[in-house]
Amino acid sequence: MKKGILEEYFRRNGKLMGWGLLLAVGFWVVVLIILPQISMLDFSFRNHLPPPEIGGPKDTYTLANYQYLIFGAQGNEEGYNKVDLLVFVRTLVAAAFVTILDLLLCYPIAYYLGQSKGGGYVRILVLLLIIPYWINEILRAFAFRIIFGDSGVINEFMLLFGLIDSPVDFIRANIALYAGLGYAYILLMIFPIYNVIESLDRNQIEAARDMGASWTMIHRRVVIPYAKPGISSGCTMVFMLSAGALAAPQILGGPSSLWFTQLIYQWFNQGGNWTQGSAYAVVLLVTCIIIVLSVMRLFKVNMGDIGK
Amino acid sequence: MKSESLLIRVGLVIYLVLFFTYLLGPLFLMSITAFNSASFPQVTPWEVLSFEWFSVLFNDQRIISGITNSLIVGFFTVILSVTIGLAGALMLTQIWPKIRATFYTIIIAPILIPGVVLGISTLVFWDRVNVMLGFSNDSFLHNGILLTVLGQSTFIASYCMLVFVARLQRYDVGLTEAALDLGATHVQAFRKIQLPFLAPAMGSAAVLAFLASFENYNTTTFTFQKYPTLTIELAQKVRYGINPSIAALAFIIVCLTIFFALLHEVKNRRAQLAIANGAPIGAVSNGFTMPKFFTGNPAAVSLAVFVVAVVATIGISRVYDPEPAKAVLLKEKRAEQALRIEALQNRMREKRLKKLYKGPDIFGSGNSKVPQAPSKIGAGGVFNPSNLDSASPAKPETPQSPGKGTFGNVFDPGNLNNDN
Repeated sequence: MKKGILEEYFRRNGKLMGWGLLLAVGFWVVVLIILPQISMLDFSFRNHLPPPEIGGPKDTYTLANYQYLIFGAQGNEEGYNKVDLLVFVRTLVAAAFVTILDLLLCYPIAYYLGQSKGGGYVRILVLLLIIPYWINEILRAFAFRIIFGDSGVINEFMLLFGLIDSPVDFIRANIALYAGLGYAYILLMIFPIYNVIESLDRNQIEAARDMGASWTMIHRRVVIPYAKPGISSGCTMVFMLSAGALAAPQILGGPSSLWFTQLIYQWFNQGGNWTQGSAYAVVLLVTCIIIVLSVMRLFKVNMGDIGK
Repeated sequence: MKSESLLIRVGLVIYLVLFFTYLLGPLFLMSITAFNSASFPQVTPWEVLSFEWFSVLFNDQRIISGITNSLIVGFFTVILSVTIGLAGALMLTQIWPKIRATFYTIIIAPILIPGVVLGISTLVFWDRVNVMLGFSNDSFLHNGILLTVLGQSTFIASYCMLVFVARLQRYDVGLTEAALDLGATHVQAFRKIQLPFLAPAMGSAAVLAFLASFENYNTTTFTFQKYPTLTIELAQKVRYGINPSIAALAFIIVCLTIFFALLHEVKNRRAQLAIANGAPIGAVSNGFTMPKFFTGNPAAVSLAVFVVAVVATIGISRVYDPEPAKAVLLKEKRAEQALRIEALQNRMREKRLKKLYKGPDIFGSGNSKVPQAPSKIGAGGVFNPSNLDSASPAKPETPQSPGKGTFGNVFDPGNLNNDN
């Protein structure tokens, strides 16, 4: 059976093309995607050893790296690694918050753009949407630092109009971080929703209106159910990217609040403890996958809808 | 019903304005700070219009080498990810249906995997391969550019794949079959038939790949080793002390983005117009006349305005010299400072005077009989002589010479005479 398929494949593509395709896809799937992930997983279960001892008798499997995340260093009085676990939970909650914020912000404009007839005016609006996405992530975060800093534009204006007496520390309050993260992924929320709503037959909305449905009713019963694949695709992307964001928390995060990716970064670049960092990365990856899969199950969306 | 729709319309306009303010405001403000001479990126207080941050930027060796590294990485990433993305898309169209979903999940997954995880797994994997092969620590497998290209291509290839899949959906397989029937080899059929059909998709995939590679931070930050890309350099600069030269770079990138976006839009629009007019695109492209170029094409108008504005800005920056304005500002600042000092002095003087005024209350009129040496009047000569006693201890240096007192005009001889 299998051989038949391979023969069929080579008959269709020819020897050279067939092997070329197989090689390229194989390189991508195996060498770039699967093996590195497995290798990271494997690494996360190993002891932290100096390079000469790797492969030696001490190089055994262990759960120590995961234990550290949950219980902290050995001899920890508190019983749990409260600091890291708190950072982990806070990252997920904040990422969910950013996702909801983006959804609320983007749904109306996606609906508006999707339902408008698409003249030159709308095309310019779409262009304006894309422009910020082409600007470097770091520069976008930098812009928010200029705006939300102690002597930033917002503080200066509020001081000028006497709304506040002393500068508000937006950075410490994490407002700058949420605004920056939400900003960074707006486009990834708009386009999936826009693409779906664009294909929605306007007659359906007209029909609902003729039947006397109110404005909220139309959205709740007609548009949102139809746009569900787009909405969940957008939410998935925004959630994953916010939870995995590194630049924005590094630049806009308050001094007292870390992002989980920053912990991973510290293990690698400052602690030099790769196995520990790998364990944290695996935890992040697995958690994100679980959350995304359960959201997709909940809203009955397929993997194929993602990335449209 | 009418009022409700009006309400919605007004709400929509407000919402659109707010939304685009949020979207474009930060970029606009950041660009403005590039022209403020203040050494911290700020809009207010505005100091002097200055272009000095651009020259700071162009003389920054780290930025220049960062751009070079980014271009190298971008070039190889484009080649690698467009190739494997195309292969993935072609494979997807003919793979055994049962494993099709699995295959799709695997090649779409890199988009969803956090970039940090991709960077780490790439680093760890190639490090282990290096150890396994027994290479030294500075072998080519530890080369930052190679690792970065591999790490980035992992997920950028997925983007390219999506672009190709969209295009391939409209491809008629019959074309390839016809070519094969006519005696073409598979390679020829691919090169002459399928590749030209995919060319536009390849263009957009390459642009997408380059942009994604150029601005990637999360993956690169683990793999760059000794070759920091522009994004890495920027991140380090922003994290450890910021100055407006970054805003200057941002301004340049914003301008480039707007330029290319408008250019793209103009081209699209012209093609559309040509089709709408029933003429082949070539006719419009060749007969390039100004009025036709602009009619019914708001993007073209904006493009022209934009180009003129940029040229004007560059022209001004050549001619404009911020130094005089800066000197004026410095003068103003000094004057302001002087004013402040004076105000302070005034306040101190007033304090002192208050003390002096208290004099009569303390001493009463009874003590005022004895006028002392005229030299002692120095400090408070204007006042009633009864003050003298309290004044002189407060200002011990004045008695030396009557003419040098702090309050010059006070020493009008007439004053003295009158007082005495």
